Amino acid sequence: MKLKLNIKGKEYEIEISEEGGRVKIKVGGKEFLFGEKEEIAVAKTVLPKRDFSKKEIKTPIAGIVSEIFVKEGDFVKKEQKTLLVSAMKMENEIVSDFEGRVQKILVQKKQEVKEGDILIFLQ
Amino acid sequence: MKIKKYKVVTSTNALAKKIKTPKPWLVLLAEKQSLGYGRKGSAWFSPKGGLYFSIILPKSKIEDLQTLTILAAFIVAKVIKENFNLEPFIKLPNDVWVNGKKIAGILTENVVGKEVKLSVMGIGLNTNIEKFPRNLENTATSLKIELGREVNNEKILKQIVGELKNQLKTISE
Repeated sequence: MKLKLNIKGKEYEIEISEEGGRVKIKVGGKEFLFGEKEEIAVAKTVLPKRDFSKKEIKTPIAGIVSEIFVKEGDFVKKEQKTLLVSAMKMENEIVSDFEGRVQKILVQKKQEVKEGDILIFLQ
Repeated sequence: MKIKKYKVVTSTNALAKKIKTPKPWLVLLAEKQSLGYGRKGSAWFSPKGGLYFSIILPKSKIEDLQTLTILAAFIVAKVIKENFNLEPFIKLPNDVWVNGKKIAGILTENVVGKEVKLSVMGIGLNTNIEKFPRNLENTATSLKIELGREVNNEKILKQIVGELKNQLKTISE
């Protein structure tokens, strides 16, 4: 199949054919071959990497969860106290940076947590 | 040094956490606390005569706050030793003992989201307490009991806060 394309005033003659299960595109004497693999590779790089809408409450300090002030299904306001993490020398009230419903509490009372651990998922 | 004085509060730490725009190094001082508490919510006997105060700490890294809390016990012990020639013993992490009995306790509380929003250090020092209830008399003591005389609460408070300021400056440099 031969096509003539006009891009910004310049004319291109393009020839599209199939060769061994792959698509061959010929433009100005140069040949380009495209197969399934190439298509997937292109698709992968364009897709957004992840869902940025996830709201996580993390602990900035290692310690033990000594209190949990919310339960799954509760609506949490921004700045609301959610958990208490006791480190050896300090009590740390973990407040929410977001507003949302508690989807999942990943820790239990008396559980040890490491710095950066996710404690709660909000929706 | 800015000191806000109260006759009676539930707890100076609880009060400090409610302040809308907390200014670093503001000190909240109470004559007595009706619901004084230490770590894990344990009660701190706080009748009139003792020294009960909370300090709003400047925004700092969480590790520096942890170091400062340990240092606070050393500072309280140092002030007791230098002023009254007693031999304090630091019961890690947050208590100071004299003659085998508890004389002071320190509790740092942080409010944290992605970063530290507020830090409050509460210190309870048994200064001019004449007598403890029976359930505490074997485990708690006061400067008045140890020395047989009254001490100046405000002078001790200023020494402790002054030392804390110096130490935080050193560790966060």
